[in-house]
Amino acid sequence: MGPARRGIGFRNGFVFVPATTTTQPTRTTLLPEKARVATVIPAAPQISLDHVQKTYPNGTVALRDVTLDIPKQDFVFLVGPSGAGKSTLVRLLIREEKATAGTIRVEGQDLSRLKRRHLPYLRRKIGMVFQDFKLLPNLTVFQNVGFALRVTEGALRHLKPKVEEVLSIVGLEGKENKFPDQLSGGEQQRVAIARALVHDPRIFLADEPTGNLDPATSWEIIQLLLQINARGTTVLMATHNREIVDVMRRRVVAIEGGQIVRDEDAGGYHAPALESH
Amino acid sequence: MHRLWNRIDFAFSSAWQNFWRNAAVSVASVLIVWVVLLALGSLLLVLHSLDQIVALEKTKASAISVYLADTTPLSSAMDFKLHLEQDPRVSNVTYVSKDQALARFRQLPALDPSVIDTLGTNPLPASLDVTVKDIRDLGAIDQEVRNSPLVDKSPATNYEPNVIDKIILLARVAGIAGLVLIIGLTGLSVFIIMLTIRTAIYLRRKEIEVMKLVGATDWFVRWPFIVEGLIVGVAGAAVAVLIVGFGYRPAVINLQSVLIFVPLAFDPSYLRVVLAAMLGFGLLLGSVGSYLGVRRFLKQ
Repeated sequence: MGPARRGIGFRNGFVFVPATTTTQPTRTTLLPEKARVATVIPAAPQISLDHVQKTYPNGTVALRDVTLDIPKQDFVFLVGPSGAGKSTLVRLLIREEKATAGTIRVEGQDLSRLKRRHLPYLRRKIGMVFQDFKLLPNLTVFQNVGFALRVTEGALRHLKPKVEEVLSIVGLEGKENKFPDQLSGGEQQRVAIARALVHDPRIFLADEPTGNLDPATSWEIIQLLLQINARGTTVLMATHNREIVDVMRRRVVAIEGGQIVRDEDAGGYHAPALESH
Repeated sequence: MHRLWNRIDFAFSSAWQNFWRNAAVSVASVLIVWVVLLALGSLLLVLHSLDQIVALEKTKASAISVYLADTTPLSSAMDFKLHLEQDPRVSNVTYVSKDQALARFRQLPALDPSVIDTLGTNPLPASLDVTVKDIRDLGAIDQEVRNSPLVDKSPATNYEPNVIDKIILLARVAGIAGLVLIIGLTGLSVFIIMLTIRTAIYLRRKEIEVMKLVGATDWFVRWPFIVEGLIVGVAGAAVAVLIVGFGYRPAVINLQSVLIFVPLAFDPSYLRVVLAAMLGFGLLLGSVGSYLGVRRFLKQ
């Protein structure tokens, strides 16, 4: 990724809009034009959890009574200690797991009623990246990204331009023919992000995307996510990275013991009361 | 069209990679399919031959040849013929002279006619070929004619009441034994193909995880493994089909020279049916095995 591109992404992430246009200033700073429209015509939240409970077969209660709305184009940090339920929440959103009770809606679709054969089409609307990248080691960068289009039966003549487009978004031009083990951790995560972008997802879920990366690289990845958000995609990022969360001043949803303990529009990693200690 | 081609291309190239990636297991499953189909093909051909023999014996069964002593004058033979024809149980009687018997004998396949010529004389008796209306009366008629002084005593008739029953029994035993063997081998081969597919799935688990994550449909994920099973089935079938296809004719010819009086015949039209059945069964084994392999694994 070149510095110029990064600069644009960064700027886009911090364009401020007069506070009078909205009651939630920090949420609408990302895309000024679209944000104004969104406040004029209030739409149903893109992701909504209503009294969601998740109990695993072994009896572990991972989430209890979670209610959360995420509107379109929001950028949300999901924070909390290990085992708090962050990953469970992410897995529920792509319906890798089903909620035990409560309702989850994604793009207006009730996930508990979603038929198994319609599940792949939900997943194509959601881009997803992980701490361990989940790249295929025997495929090149280009093939790894193209794989997502190939296996979802996208028309092959659109494959090359699409892959090139997303690789340029993540700044990996010129590395198409490298294999994952020839790349740095940050570059590997960019490949994973590019792969998640090929379907032009409306929602982008990142589960600890910077967990394996050094601070400088983590910042690059965050800026990339901001850029994706600026293009109109809702981003939900589960993270442990306190520094990033504190600097960004974005919406923070904190989970502890399977419950939402805090939901702030421009929050930090810890609650203000705790920070004073 | 594009998408269909992509789907087919992906399924076949992945299946081909899978096949060679765990080559040892794949070859084992091809071998077991081969054994099953070889057994199936051989059994079908053996049963078909036994059927042919039974059918031929049955047409012969409603008739016996009553052999006449060489000393019997033709007029006495004709009187005896008339006597038999008047029997209500008899439908038809034909006189076969010694010369006619010899001519018939010469026509038997797989027999050297010069054997007879070296004897100088005709050893074959004249006979009355008696056809009955009901096959169950054959035994009684056989008993009656044996008492006539006109009849040769060594042997008197060609009546062999048990031969058909024996052949039918043989066919039944061979059929049941073969069927049990084939069912057992079928179960084994489906199991081994299933293991092959499970191994392939295990080796591809990362890819499958990514495929599901980015929104591949269940069937898109499954197809390569189903195709791999079909490749195993077709490969096993191909070897078996070649062996049975090229081996049937020589086998029949060899058996004919050993079993001179058994009416074995080479039946190319039935062979084609058997080969098609083998190929079909191979495909079935492959697809059932791989379906069972993918079914449990890809469910969440």
